[in-house]
Amino acid sequence: MFLKRGLSIISLIILAGLFNGCQNNDEKNKPVVETKTMRLPVSVNDSTILAIDKSSMDMSYFPEDYPKQKMITPNMPNPVARVIYSRPQKNGRIIFADSTITQNVIQQYGEEWRLGANEATEIEFFKPVTINNKTLAAGRYILYCIPYPDRWKIIFNTNLYSWGLHIDKTKDLLNIDLPVIKNKVLIEYFTMFFQNASYGCELVMAWGDIKVVLPVNFN
Amino acid sequence: MKPLLFIITVCCFSFCGLQAQTKLPEIDKSPMDMSYYPSRYPVLKIQDKNTEPLIARVIYSRPHKNGRVIFGELLEYGKVWRLGANEATEIEFYTDVKINDIKVKKGRYSMYGIPNADKWTIIINKETDTWGSFKYDEKNDLLRIDLPVQNQTEITEAFAIAFEKSATGANLIIAWDTVKLNLPIVF
Repeated sequence: MFLKRGLSIISLIILAGLFNGCQNNDEKNKPVVETKTMRLPVSVNDSTILAIDKSSMDMSYFPEDYPKQKMITPNMPNPVARVIYSRPQKNGRIIFADSTITQNVIQQYGEEWRLGANEATEIEFFKPVTINNKTLAAGRYILYCIPYPDRWKIIFNTNLYSWGLHIDKTKDLLNIDLPVIKNKVLIEYFTMFFQNASYGCELVMAWGDIKVVLPVNFN
Repeated sequence: MKPLLFIITVCCFSFCGLQAQTKLPEIDKSPMDMSYYPSRYPVLKIQDKNTEPLIARVIYSRPHKNGRVIFGELLEYGKVWRLGANEATEIEFYTDVKINDIKVKKGRYSMYGIPNADKWTIIINKETDTWGSFKYDEKNDLLRIDLPVQNQTEITEAFAIAFEKSATGANLIIAWDTVKLNLPIVF
């Protein structure tokens, strides 16, 4: 009885705290309206001091933490996959919305998104893999998506070394529709990482309160 | 009742904290960055403005000076450094090039540096996808080149690597704190 009452009080305190936290956060991070104008990297010819990017780049391997594993494991076989992407921040904005909401939105449903920021997201397989029942040869690809409220279309494309704002659809290679999964936690920075699966591995793509999981089959 | 309340509250919050941390990689203190030759190649590519083919790309992490004395203190002179942070710095050539008159075949390499007060040794090594210089092995070196230190008056806060056009190809510029180096790449 006491315990029950205690728990409900605690829940209230936690909820109030979370709510407050969100509000403060919104005030602190004044909405930034994302425009589709191109933000060019600082040219080296102007200065050798390059600016640090707001959406910093990151890299994930499969097996997970491969470079660190390699350090402590003798005769480690080659990695299977690596993804290189940039990590935009939610920063109080709405991440995904339909066209009825135009203010303070990062990405409209139904429009192509580079799965990150800056350069197109790059994925490399060091051996052939199977995605959506199609074989993908070892090599490098770019990855983008078309998000919808309930699913994402993930597309592999061969237009390497391109900035992510212009997709050349003639170079699409294969695509796969994946269900949107709700997260228990809110993820501030767009995040990609690989995790183990019985059939190979999964590429997890998470931001805000959702995630999408791409199965990569090693057979 | 109060101690129990306190314990439960603490447990709840620790649980939330743990959940939030599960597996998700944090934003790195030394963020990763990428430079191309020709510089800004991906942007020029989507604008159809590239006049030269893609020659090289470097992927590295950018530690900050953060008020510290870097060379000779944070980084000991004479010791192999991964030229950045986290993973060993990676350089990829999309065509065969020459460094220090030695042929470097198209492909991926790791890059290290040995800082000294007046000159650095830059190393191109064949072992890739490694962390730091902890397992650096000299026997996988492709080449080494000594470069004079150019002291700058302006401080570079975040370690930076970038390419610049040169008469014979490109220079790879390596800069941090008051130190700047030029690595000539011929192609």
